[in-house]
Amino acid sequence: MDPQLVTDLVVHTILIVIVATLLMGGFAAMTVVERKLLGRFTLRYGPNRVGKFGTLQVIADMFKMFFKEEVVPDHVDRAIYLMAPGMALVPAMLAFAVVPIAQAPFVLPFEVFGYTITVNPWIADINVGVLYILAIGSLGTYGVVLGGWSSNNKYSLLGGLRTSAQMLSYELPMGVALLGVIMLAGSLQLTQIVDFQNAWLGLRWFILFQPIAFIIFYICSLAEAGRAPFDLPETENELIAGFATEYGAMKFGLFFGAEYIHMIVVSFIMATLFLGGWSGPFATQVPLLGIVYLLLKVGFILFTMIWVRASTPRVRFDKLMKFNWKFLLPLSIANAAVTALVAGVIFF
Amino acid sequence: MTNFLEKLNAKIPSAVTERTEFRGDETLTVDAAHLHDVARFLRDDETSQFNLLVDVYGTDRAKLGQSPRFAVNYELYSIPHNRFLRLVTAAPEPEDSSRDALPALPTVTDLWPTADWLERETYDLMGINFMGHPNMRRIMMPDNWVGHPLRKDYPLGGEPVYFEHDRNNPRFAHLGKPIMFGPSFETELPEEMDTEGNMVINLGPHHPATHGVLRLATELDGEVVVRVGPEVGYLHSGFEKTGENVRYEQFIPYCDRMDYASPMANNYAFVSTVEKLMQVDIPEHVQYARTILVELQRLGSHLIWLGTHAMDVSGTAHAISQYTFQMRERILDIFEMVCGARMTTSYFSVGGLRWPLPGAFDAAVRAFLKESEVHMQDFEDLLTRNPLWLSRTKGIGILKADDAIALGVTGPLLRAAGVPLDLRKVRPYLAYADLDFEIPTATEADTYARYTVRVAEMRQSLRIIQQALDKIKPGPHRTANRKVALPPREEISTSMESLIHHFKLVTEGYRPPEGQVYHVHENPKGWLGFGLLSDGTAKPHRLRVRGPSFVNLQATDLMARGGYIADLITVIGSIDIVLGEVDR
Repeated sequence: MDPQLVTDLVVHTILIVIVATLLMGGFAAMTVVERKLLGRFTLRYGPNRVGKFGTLQVIADMFKMFFKEEVVPDHVDRAIYLMAPGMALVPAMLAFAVVPIAQAPFVLPFEVFGYTITVNPWIADINVGVLYILAIGSLGTYGVVLGGWSSNNKYSLLGGLRTSAQMLSYELPMGVALLGVIMLAGSLQLTQIVDFQNAWLGLRWFILFQPIAFIIFYICSLAEAGRAPFDLPETENELIAGFATEYGAMKFGLFFGAEYIHMIVVSFIMATLFLGGWSGPFATQVPLLGIVYLLLKVGFILFTMIWVRASTPRVRFDKLMKFNWKFLLPLSIANAAVTALVAGVIFF
Repeated sequence: MTNFLEKLNAKIPSAVTERTEFRGDETLTVDAAHLHDVARFLRDDETSQFNLLVDVYGTDRAKLGQSPRFAVNYELYSIPHNRFLRLVTAAPEPEDSSRDALPALPTVTDLWPTADWLERETYDLMGINFMGHPNMRRIMMPDNWVGHPLRKDYPLGGEPVYFEHDRNNPRFAHLGKPIMFGPSFETELPEEMDTEGNMVINLGPHHPATHGVLRLATELDGEVVVRVGPEVGYLHSGFEKTGENVRYEQFIPYCDRMDYASPMANNYAFVSTVEKLMQVDIPEHVQYARTILVELQRLGSHLIWLGTHAMDVSGTAHAISQYTFQMRERILDIFEMVCGARMTTSYFSVGGLRWPLPGAFDAAVRAFLKESEVHMQDFEDLLTRNPLWLSRTKGIGILKADDAIALGVTGPLLRAAGVPLDLRKVRPYLAYADLDFEIPTATEADTYARYTVRVAEMRQSLRIIQQALDKIKPGPHRTANRKVALPPREEISTSMESLIHHFKLVTEGYRPPEGQVYHVHENPKGWLGFGLLSDGTAKPHRLRVRGPSFVNLQATDLMARGGYIADLITVIGSIDIVLGEVDR
């Protein structure tokens, strides 16, 4: 067997474990950050009992989730019911695989067992990266839909139905909005898209050329992640947490985690596609700076997502669909058409 | 004034057997056989036009020595003529003398749909049957309850309580066993519901958007609401029965606990009813102090409504609920300063205020007024022109003026339908006549109209408080009538008579004259009515509470039909109910 292949496999596996762990850590951090920020937005303190400024609240919550009794109601479809939280969580994580966090592969300064180890700042740099993101994004719907269906509860069923309609239909404008970016970058590969943006001192971001696409993508991301004001699958005041009504303990924790990881990953993707990813002043020279830039951009997007949650009323289900089909989709198509025309005139 | 009466007598002779007037309340005693005709005449004739049925309640007159034993009182109000009228109809004794036979009267639900729940309540608690009522079931007590609690011969205390969840009931033997083996039971649904073709979902009694223990059996076609069957009574605590067994003064703390979002206003409504019965003169200082406090309470109640309503529409993370509660905190701080309690104030007593206003009251209220301007602007900035808020509230839950009046709906809901009916303006009381304020109305009759009306009302309340603060003069905090209000402490040391008054008031309470009064106050949520039937003792013979939430809640079905399930939640929020008052 080719020894290089073996090292690659080992390195990749380690990388995947690290990324998955970091994402789980990000989810844990987000639960506190969100509550802390929501607290501030709503004139409260947020968690502040466990640890300094409530930082250890994460651990307390994890303990709580893990040690709660795993109740499986009698009336559920047991196999699907147990499978659904995992089906929601995994696709949310998978999309992260194609996000580059720095420009070039990093060669370890020492040899391991006589091999030179190259660490990529991405897990997979596939040439259909954008398509992959869209494909994986729609897979995440299954977990929620099946969770709602298998719970055998009217509230959950309504929540699941809403999810299937909402998440699938928001895929469309999302994909069409990305057409503009793809056309300008001339590639579906995320590394190349970022490379395109890494000009003009690393500030040639797509948000400058594609502001409408960015807004559409942002709205659709909220809808896909099930965040307010599009949190219709849950709607605690109408459907009492919707698809998650019958879930408790860590099963609920996984759904919860899926939502947050979805949110984080989508922020990474948004930062990569529209805000230049790791690019920024001197990010090429100092790769570490690129990671900092990326995290700052992601942090900002996450902050706005929480901000939106604290300040907008929820959209009604039918209006949400109308907004999507009658406004967002035509707008994104128009955006793509105009981009195609302008780009065609300039480049050819 | 009485020309409709002449017309009525000419048209239906011998229907009205007696006409009395007591404390300004006009009462017609109507023969049971002609009740329905008289009611129809009074509603439709242009000289009377009593289009609003305020209340229906029964009285048990056995101990008053009147026969027949039961009578039903219909409190009517004519919006065009601004006039109240009470119809009293004695319910004929049932012919067969078996224990279960009930006296019966014809229903008036076909004339005033609001009578639906009011008659059900009368049936449930007083045991009077209404012939032709579409749904004559118990409303407050469980369906298997024995007896009618408001009857005077109903035992007090020590009676066996029949709960459905009885420990010996084999149906509930599963309680205490693991949850997965718990079978679910058929719940009672309104008969017309199509459980086969559509999905029936139970919102409540434990549901975050019902603001308490309200059950809404909702028939859904997809996400569209086909019909809603509100089910109340989960919180029934028998306030009326309690009130008939405590002295007048002792009932004041109970008022706090009905609509716990507006205790001051409830206190005032009850206290003013007793004052009307006893004809107590209230000093001007007290009138102004009460005006300020009642208006502060109106603000407080509307603030709770705004916060929770926005939360119903937006989700619990929305910031506005905390902002409104912050402003309400200031009001509660003022209440705490005034009387020591924040929510259960019991500050008004018959004849005045329980204690004089504290010295810092004026400064505190002025400081509150100053900062509330900023708050009000914040709320409006967040919602009034927010497109999402508009899309969630405009055209949702429409309740037209005609339907609202027929359903007995009062308060901001009626004003949002374009009817400028506000007792503070049409029959000024307290200090309202001297103050300059407007009655905000809207014509759209939808949820957004109710929002704008309530927000405008909050601004008007601020105006009223400002003016009242400028006009209030120092003075005695109680009436000088020693038969009602306690004498000052200093006087007791020097005057034997005062000591006797004090002793009598504390040990026996006051004894209002015999008679029946009904008084309505414009509460933040609508008309809060108190009916008192006095037999000359220190305890009311009959105490009736008309909760605005209870009556307004009946409109849910009409408002939610054809909307989405999300709109049902919005509608519930925009009615602004407090379950403590719905069930009493």
